[in-house]
Amino acid sequence: MRKNPYKIWSPALVVLAVGLALLLPSLAGAKIRTHAPIQLKTEDGKIINPLTGENADQPYSPRQTCGACHNYNDITKGYHFQQGWDRVKDNFNAKKPWVLSDGMMGKF
Amino acid sequence: MTPFGFASAGDPKNPVMPGCGACHPGGGGLEFDRDGKRYDARLKAEPQLAQSLDGDYFKSPWDKTGVVEADCLVCHLPGYNFKDRIKQLIMLNFKWASTSASGIAQVTGTVREGQTPAVVYNKRLFNEDGKIYLELSGPPPSENCTFCHSFSDMRKRGFSWNDRINHDVHNMRGMACVDCHWSIDKEHNFAKGDENVSTVRDDLDNTMKNCKQCHEQGFMGAPRPAHLSVRPNHLEKLACETCHIPTLHRAAAEGFDVTTGMLVNYPKLGAKQVGAAFDWKPRYARKHKDGKVWPVNNLLPTIYTNQDKDGTYYPLYAREIGKGYEKIKGQLKDKKPSKPELHKPEEIKLMLTALAETLKGNKRFQQVRPNYHKGGQMHSLNEKGEIVTAKDETWCGEGEGFNVNHNVAPAKLALGANGCADCHSSEAHMFKGQIVTDLFGSDGKPTYISSGRLIGCQPWAYYVNQFHQTYLTPYVSIILLLLVFGLVLHYTGQGPKGADFTYEPGEILRFTLTERWTHLVRMIAFLLLTLTGYIFFYNNVTMLRMFFSTPASAVIFHWVTGLIFLAASVVALVHWAKDARFADYDKEWLRKHGGYFGGKELEVPAGRLNAGQKIFFWLTAGLSLIMGATGVLLIFKNSLPLTFNCLISTIHGFFAIIFVAAIIAHAYLGTIANPGTWRALVDGQVGRKWAKKHHSEWYKEIAAKEEKE
Repeated sequence: MRKNPYKIWSPALVVLAVGLALLLPSLAGAKIRTHAPIQLKTEDGKIINPLTGENADQPYSPRQTCGACHNYNDITKGYHFQQGWDRVKDNFNAKKPWVLSDGMMGKF
Repeated sequence: MTPFGFASAGDPKNPVMPGCGACHPGGGGLEFDRDGKRYDARLKAEPQLAQSLDGDYFKSPWDKTGVVEADCLVCHLPGYNFKDRIKQLIMLNFKWASTSASGIAQVTGTVREGQTPAVVYNKRLFNEDGKIYLELSGPPPSENCTFCHSFSDMRKRGFSWNDRINHDVHNMRGMACVDCHWSIDKEHNFAKGDENVSTVRDDLDNTMKNCKQCHEQGFMGAPRPAHLSVRPNHLEKLACETCHIPTLHRAAAEGFDVTTGMLVNYPKLGAKQVGAAFDWKPRYARKHKDGKVWPVNNLLPTIYTNQDKDGTYYPLYAREIGKGYEKIKGQLKDKKPSKPELHKPEEIKLMLTALAETLKGNKRFQQVRPNYHKGGQMHSLNEKGEIVTAKDETWCGEGEGFNVNHNVAPAKLALGANGCADCHSSEAHMFKGQIVTDLFGSDGKPTYISSGRLIGCQPWAYYVNQFHQTYLTPYVSIILLLLVFGLVLHYTGQGPKGADFTYEPGEILRFTLTERWTHLVRMIAFLLLTLTGYIFFYNNVTMLRMFFSTPASAVIFHWVTGLIFLAASVVALVHWAKDARFADYDKEWLRKHGGYFGGKELEVPAGRLNAGQKIFFWLTAGLSLIMGATGVLLIFKNSLPLTFNCLISTIHGFFAIIFVAAIIAHAYLGTIANPGTWRALVDGQVGRKWAKKHHSEWYKEIAAKEEKE
């Protein structure tokens, strides 16, 4: 007697579906790394909580907010942040005295 | 420009185009003054600074705008609203910019209009504990990088990313900006290449992997190129980008003009605007750092300077130029603000005279001598107030061009993928492409230079060089086949000549062992040279793979064999020069064409070498000299000028064909056309009957000598 193909394949399909379901969140996470919830803070370091209204009329401060966990001072020494500002010198370029740095701040 | 001006630059009436501040992510000079103090805090403590001439505070209401702290979300938040950041900064909402552009709150009101902006957070983004949940990306998405790098690099070099029109093979393989330009230190400095014009942080140059490093190491699965059809010297002399970025598909700027006091970008000639879909091929330049040929975009400057007392040419600020332009713009008819170019001497004189007046009393300078720089020329006013034009020897005329290094084509679209003719043909851009040198020449029309001249090749040399690809390559096989066909016709029509060669007693030694070895070495060397030469001539990758592992090994094999051939040719010259001297009886041989035509057996006088062999001997001696001289020079071609290389490689190729044709005919005559002749080169012996028949005068000498003995 011929076996019912659905009886043979249905357990395999269930296993496959469960496997995919378990795999999907990790695949999604491969593209965007989720960040832990963040406590917003004002530039004075005060907590912003829109749900309670606490300082909810203030803009958040990246220095206070991101800098609570990340080393804001170190990171902002990088070129993209300084853009030459930390290297400005009056005698930076003797041939082109109007060039004061090798970044966009102080460069012609 | 003050730091405040830097942060707020842009048009408040149309706050769309990014000023300086938008692309500066904040922190550094937008947060702290030169003394390392926060602008807002210091100005609150010392409000008089705003009225002082301190550049950090002059007319700078930092106390109201706040400072621009480093906005982490510009880079790390997918979907960041960069346009809103531009708007917020231009409207002086410095400390509100990140809150608004990140989309976590709505900000209304602007400091520029005297208001204190109001903030309303989007509560849906917050958890019950008041913390916000944002889907941040650790490595910045490429889209965020292009907030700033799309416009500036489009202008400089036609760069775009995630752009189906202006593709990049790395982008097509799913790579992102940070895959090459990753963070190299805790300061968030990014790995960079080495920009050759707009030099920024040269100390960080070459911190990223270059093409060779990735593709040789297979970094990120980069395929290893075999480059089997590419001559080794091309890999040494050309940057990878030169072949792999043959065309860009969005218009960069061809030049810029600051005549009005505003920056006007001129798009590539023929394009509607910078960034428009438009095909263009780069200019090529030798990069000063490595001497390689690189693709660049020159971005022709139209700028003004003032030569001060110390001889230095100081660039004039936009506002200084603008003052001069304001004075004369009414006199400049038919000029549009989008195309203010000045090319007529009277226009240039008008502008420089106006600048000479408006610069009077300018505290930056000790003397007023304005100059107009354009198209590699500098225009100045002499003592009589007339225009003097000279070649621009100042820094303004030193434009090397922005190197083009993105928008890499797939390998099958690279130069050379369709053969050498991609560059070495009559219409190829590499040498014959027309490159703009001045957007507005003296007649108002663009002036051009051929691409080849920019890389140091004289036009006559690349016209000679393209002869190889245009005429020789397509027709050589046909010519050689016709030659073979002619020889077949001769054989079938005239038949073999002379007596069959049979062993007989008393044979004569025709060629000594040394002579036979010399011939053998020349013959084998020639066959090998022909084989490798054929591979080079047609860039035959299949045969290259069959016999050699790399093009470099084939090249080395070719020139080593060539040197052996050359040495054997010198020995041959010593052996046979005496026998190859022409004698009177050779005239008869030549008159009767050596008895090779007419179908009758003719007795033609000949010495040890007949007249035909003598001609062949001197012909091959001359060809060996030409091939040897050019060949030896080509061994050192990496140290020779490009013009010279173009010439000698064409000569080498052309005479190689003649040499091969001559050898085919020689081989025919030395084998089937004269049966048995070949044996003279194997054991050196010939029969007396054969000698008498083919070399009667030589036989007489032999017989006389024997009689004497």
